[in-house]
Amino acid sequence: MKKSMGLFVALLLVAGLLWAGGQSEAGAEAGREKVTFLFWPGPESEAMQKVLDAYNADQGIKDNVEVEMLLFSRQGFYDKLLADMAAGSTEFDLNLVTTYSLGRYAPYLEPLDSYITSDPGKTFIPATLNSLALDGKQYGVPTDVSLHFNIYRKDLIDKLLTDASWKSSYTAIAQKYLGKKLSPKDPAQWDWDDYLATTLFFTKSINPESPTTFGTVLQLKNLIFNIMIWQSTMVSNGGNWMDEAGNITINTPEAKRGLEMYQMIIDNKATPPGSLNYEFPESNEAFKAGQVASMFQWNAAYSTLTNPDDSPSVYDKIGIAPLPAGSLGHRTHVHSLGIGMNAASLHKEAAGKFVDYLFSDKAMEIYGRAGGSPPASMVLASLADIRPEFPTVAEYLERYAYVVNGGTADYAVPVYEVMAEEFSSVWSGDQSIDTALAHTEQRMKELIHK
Amino acid sequence: MTSSMTRYRKYLFIAPLALFLLITLGYPLVTNIIYSFSDVTFRTIRSPRLIGVQHYKEVLTSAAFWGSFWFSARFAIVATFFEVLLGLGLAIALAPLLERYKILLTFIMLPLMIAPVLMGIMYRLLLNEFVGPISQIMQMFGIYVSLLNPPWIVGTLVTIEILQWTPFAFLIIFSGLQSISGDVIEAARIDGASEWGVFWYITIPALLPNISIAAFVRFVDSFRVFDHIYVLTGGGPGRMTTSLSIFIYKSFFQQEQIGTAVAAAMVLLIVFLIPLIFSMRQITRK
Amino acid sequence: MKKTLRIICYVLVVFICNLPLLATIATSLKTPAQISASPPLLFFKPTLANYAEVLTSPSLHFGTYLRNSFGLALLGTLFSILLALPAAYGMVRHGVGKKFLLPFVTNLRTFPLIIFAIPFYFMFQSVGLLDTVLGLAILSCLINLPLALVVLLSFFQDLPIELEEAAFVDGASTFQTMRMIILPLATTVLASVSVLSFIYAWNEFLFGLILTTKVATPVTVGATFFITSFGIRWGQTAAAITLSILPPMFIGVLSFRYLTKALLSGAIKG
Repeated sequence: MKKSMGLFVALLLVAGLLWAGGQSEAGAEAGREKVTFLFWPGPESEAMQKVLDAYNADQGIKDNVEVEMLLFSRQGFYDKLLADMAAGSTEFDLNLVTTYSLGRYAPYLEPLDSYITSDPGKTFIPATLNSLALDGKQYGVPTDVSLHFNIYRKDLIDKLLTDASWKSSYTAIAQKYLGKKLSPKDPAQWDWDDYLATTLFFTKSINPESPTTFGTVLQLKNLIFNIMIWQSTMVSNGGNWMDEAGNITINTPEAKRGLEMYQMIIDNKATPPGSLNYEFPESNEAFKAGQVASMFQWNAAYSTLTNPDDSPSVYDKIGIAPLPAGSLGHRTHVHSLGIGMNAASLHKEAAGKFVDYLFSDKAMEIYGRAGGSPPASMVLASLADIRPEFPTVAEYLERYAYVVNGGTADYAVPVYEVMAEEFSSVWSGDQSIDTALAHTEQRMKELIHK
Repeated sequence: MTSSMTRYRKYLFIAPLALFLLITLGYPLVTNIIYSFSDVTFRTIRSPRLIGVQHYKEVLTSAAFWGSFWFSARFAIVATFFEVLLGLGLAIALAPLLERYKILLTFIMLPLMIAPVLMGIMYRLLLNEFVGPISQIMQMFGIYVSLLNPPWIVGTLVTIEILQWTPFAFLIIFSGLQSISGDVIEAARIDGASEWGVFWYITIPALLPNISIAAFVRFVDSFRVFDHIYVLTGGGPGRMTTSLSIFIYKSFFQQEQIGTAVAAAMVLLIVFLIPLIFSMRQITRK
Repeated sequence: MKKTLRIICYVLVVFICNLPLLATIATSLKTPAQISASPPLLFFKPTLANYAEVLTSPSLHFGTYLRNSFGLALLGTLFSILLALPAAYGMVRHGVGKKFLLPFVTNLRTFPLIIFAIPFYFMFQSVGLLDTVLGLAILSCLINLPLALVVLLSFFQDLPIELEEAAFVDGASTFQTMRMIILPLATTVLASVSVLSFIYAWNEFLFGLILTTKVATPVTVGATFFITSFGIRWGQTAAAITLSILPPMFIGVLSFRYLTKALLSGAIKG
């Protein structure tokens, strides 16, 4: 027995070492230069694969380039990317970039201007190009645009607009909680008071006749993306992170009002108690369960919410509107996901050829058709039949989209992190709004005016 | 025995280990010590700039650091207490059954085999108040609480930890139970000791080293808890569930305050040195 | 009667501790619509579509991930035992290393290893160990050393020295004593340590994330590939998790069967 144990151990050791050392990958097709394209898994990468396939089969042959995709987990993606880029990794030539992290990664990115042969403004909506530009240099191709919709239950709103007893309940609730005599309006015309009134109306604990338990589902988890949603409450009323001169304007009435509005919803239990831990997937689940009348949500949710296989109970009852209007009108945060070039890449020329291909209507159409949301005007206009939300995206991009002052700087993510931490603390009842805003201002000063 | 060994041959036993540690940890430790005394970000990661003890001062006066320290401490104490207690109870209760059918051990070990990070992701679904099976089961018993909200969230996180790791304490203590000589127990029984007497005066003392090991390892591991909390709550709401590891991780990667993060880890090292030496004496006491 | 109580206790404990796992397995057999059903479905028509997706998805290489995790966990466990066994023996029987080496190794476990991620990255980068199973195995070994050392130390302390002395008197060398006397007695302990080390190495996420790109990706990282910007694919994540516990379970069964055999053949006499 001892002999066989020893043998067994030795075998394992050898097998392990052999296997550990001897792993290699296939080289590119004979002659073509290989470019590695880093992305994260999901519908975007699946759609992008089609673009890669199309390129490799056609333009890639002419360019003598072959592009291959590399996937990193979305969990911890940015941290890993930072580590890799700081270490000068050459494992990838092109990589994912986003608006809010552009400043942080810019030192490791190669500007793309010299590789583009066409006029990018012809393909892409200029605002989205700017969202991936810094100091006058273009650092990324915007392949997906993310902004917010006010997604609501069309069937419930229709009833609210026509049913007499509902209308009078609504007015009574508005009077009681907001001190204003309001009548139901179409969501496209909502201001913040209309939003609050409707939300309270559709909350069972306030209105026993409500068909849904909660008026809305807020995403309150300690997460930077939730701040991007929240900040429209402030920006639509004229607020911002900083003013043009660079003074920090977070501790202002506009921000306070934004937090107070969220607080009103939380205090009146108009959002599920679990909201404190919610982000994108959980809020979708609440909506799909038919328990919620409206929610602020990323445009990416549209396809799953309208899919009968994914959302059997609500897929045909979805309406979209812009976020409620403040003193400046409707506003929505926008950021782009895109492709940038690794400054440490050893295949810049080759990668540049693929980048040039991406800056075309052709590439973006393939991408849009396969499931992406490219902010390319032609694509958004022509694919309305398979992507019904595209015209709306185009419209909102043109009329309502904003990037906060400092939203692309290298301190953007840390600032979002600070807000996420301080504000989620307010939402859980651990801190007052005034204290939170004061802390946030202080910490923003430390981060921005280093 | 020592006489048949030359003075230096006995060092051969620990040489491989020491060498391995030197090679693998030498550079990282030195680098980190330098970082803790430097101004360094990812951009300057290969060329830190020494600035003295500023980071240590920042850390020691940081409310966020101490908050996360105490969170980790309380988390670890409660989790370890229950894990060891339950592990002990289970080991004693189930020992005769498991000694005969060793294969049954596998099913008790199953919770350990799911990576905490993955389980944390699943818990986002399982504890969801609308579609989560665990919430549904609780509702069947009439309990309508949102497990991911304060004030329940901390308890939920601790429970998740206990459910996953009690089998570990169990295994360590169970192994110890196996090596207690049957003769001693026989002799005690013949001498008229009761079941309780046997348990209290023979079994427990003999198990003390194993209980200490289980408690020590579990305490240290729970203190460093990161994966499932980070995935479930991100350390929030606010900083309510920010453990020390989460604090260090966030400072390191998201705030890019590398020097501070490393200094915090160094402080932790020093703080742990005393109880460590104490528990080492316990374990190696013979 | 006592036996029945024990069995009931066992079943209860296993059920409660494994409730999350059971819920996960159930989720892995549901379609997206079934998963989003509110309230959740207890009885449903199961589907294997999630498993098919996990195992055959072109952008995923789940088989590779499983192989990688298996490799790094096995090697890491082997390394840690090979290093810790003689060290523990030396510490107990010859008193070496107790003052500094032991506390140092044990203190390793208190350390949040996150901050070692970057130095290890640079180190591995310069010796070409980035994105290799061997590199991750070395890290797993490091992570498991404290436990292995402490448990083996305790084992040696409990081991009566008379057996070794008898062997020496008979003229056996240290190595022979180790092989013929100590190892057979240590099988229980070694099995426990192996299983636990394997599990800890198997469950490692952070280093698996930072130190690999595509070749050596472990299954813990691979299973998170179903988290997308468009939502978490619960069914597939659950399937991936279920698949990922099979190898450790296999190792556990193997180790514990070995345990039974070892105890039945050749126990300590008197």
